[in-house]
Amino acid sequence: MNCDEVVPLLAAAADGEVDPLRTHALHKHVAGCESCSLKYAAMVDLKRRLRAELPYHAAPAALRARLVARAAPPAPARPPWSQWSDRPWRWFGGGVLVGGLAAGLIWGLSAVLMRADLGRDLSASIVARHTRATLAGQLVEVASSDHHKVKPWLSARLDYSIPVDDWAKSGFPLVGARIDRLEGRPVATLVYRRRDHVIDVFVRPLPSQGPMPAVHPVRGFNIAIAAGSEMEWFATSDLNPNELAAFVQGLARGAVAPPN
Amino acid sequence: MVHLNAGYNLARWLAHDGQDAEDVVQEACVRAMKYMGSLHGEDGRAWFLAIVRRAFYDWLAHNRPALLVRDDESAIDAVPDDADGPEQALLRKTERMALADAVAALPPMFREVIVLRELEELSYKEIARIIDVPIGTVMSRLSRARRLLQNCALALGRADASETGSTP
Repeated sequence: MNCDEVVPLLAAAADGEVDPLRTHALHKHVAGCESCSLKYAAMVDLKRRLRAELPYHAAPAALRARLVARAAPPAPARPPWSQWSDRPWRWFGGGVLVGGLAAGLIWGLSAVLMRADLGRDLSASIVARHTRATLAGQLVEVASSDHHKVKPWLSARLDYSIPVDDWAKSGFPLVGARIDRLEGRPVATLVYRRRDHVIDVFVRPLPSQGPMPAVHPVRGFNIAIAAGSEMEWFATSDLNPNELAAFVQGLARGAVAPPN
Repeated sequence: MVHLNAGYNLARWLAHDGQDAEDVVQEACVRAMKYMGSLHGEDGRAWFLAIVRRAFYDWLAHNRPALLVRDDESAIDAVPDDADGPEQALLRKTERMALADAVAALPPMFREVIVLRELEELSYKEIARIIDVPIGTVMSRLSRARRLLQNCALALGRADASETGSTP
């Protein structure tokens, strides 16, 4: 590839929107071309700064509460057939009850559907985060197996604090940590190794309600999820699914056992 | 309700104001409940964001019609990329701003792609569906928005350098 071909692709490459084959050719060119490597670095830097500096406006609690209240069913109109009953108020009461149940069910169901949907998006973005970090060789922002170093580094950058431990004795040495974004929110990412496999563990506060999202393997990368210590833990790796699941459950419990 | 934060964030960035954003999101939720049936296993977040965005432009047309005229796509797209025109004017205006303020100063059509891409981290394809334009248009809007922002970032860098007394 030459500069004329590379320059228009630089932004898309920084966005992870170029196919792997062309990405490879592009990085080869960028590595040897000062002008393109400066442009690429500037784009990556702008993206990093935007993510770091733009405030993410979470919905105010009052708005959320108002919307939930609104979603509660309005009292259904008196059903026309109730006039035939000799005790219309009973029919009316039944209507309210049935209407309420149905509306509650629909609301609950839609929340579940959206949550399941979320699981699919989430799986894709978790794996995208993982591959981006491994391909770019920027696995960690703080490289240390010392949890006394990693934990405060994370706490200083997030509005929550997570348990951090090195599990080298169980065969999962801690490599370090970085901050990622999932669903537009900053999230703690712990990086562990298992033999030659890199494991990214995304940790964020457990939502107050809703079932755990259903996660699926994406492009050969497995994802395992666990809840514990008031956190949601998502581990992704090319490690086999059993070891990965056991590991993330151990993390959430605070006790990782060596795999058999 | 799981996408409420994403919806509010977009509305807040588009409307600039918390109260207006709340009105937009509230209207979007009403529409979302109504059209829940049209969500066939699609990405729920992108679907809701598209509704929020539509609700915002409807709100804008109703409450701030003057702003809508300024956002006329043809007015901006007719300007060649490097000519002196609205983009140059904006460029000068954004030169000394903090990055977040510079994003806020972008016309909505540029602002929305930056928010969807950098804060929601949606793919080009998803953004194209949300704002209902071809992927090529998403890419060109992103690139022009970023050129403006990059310029602002550079100017800030220069200002920092001169304040600390070092020469660039």
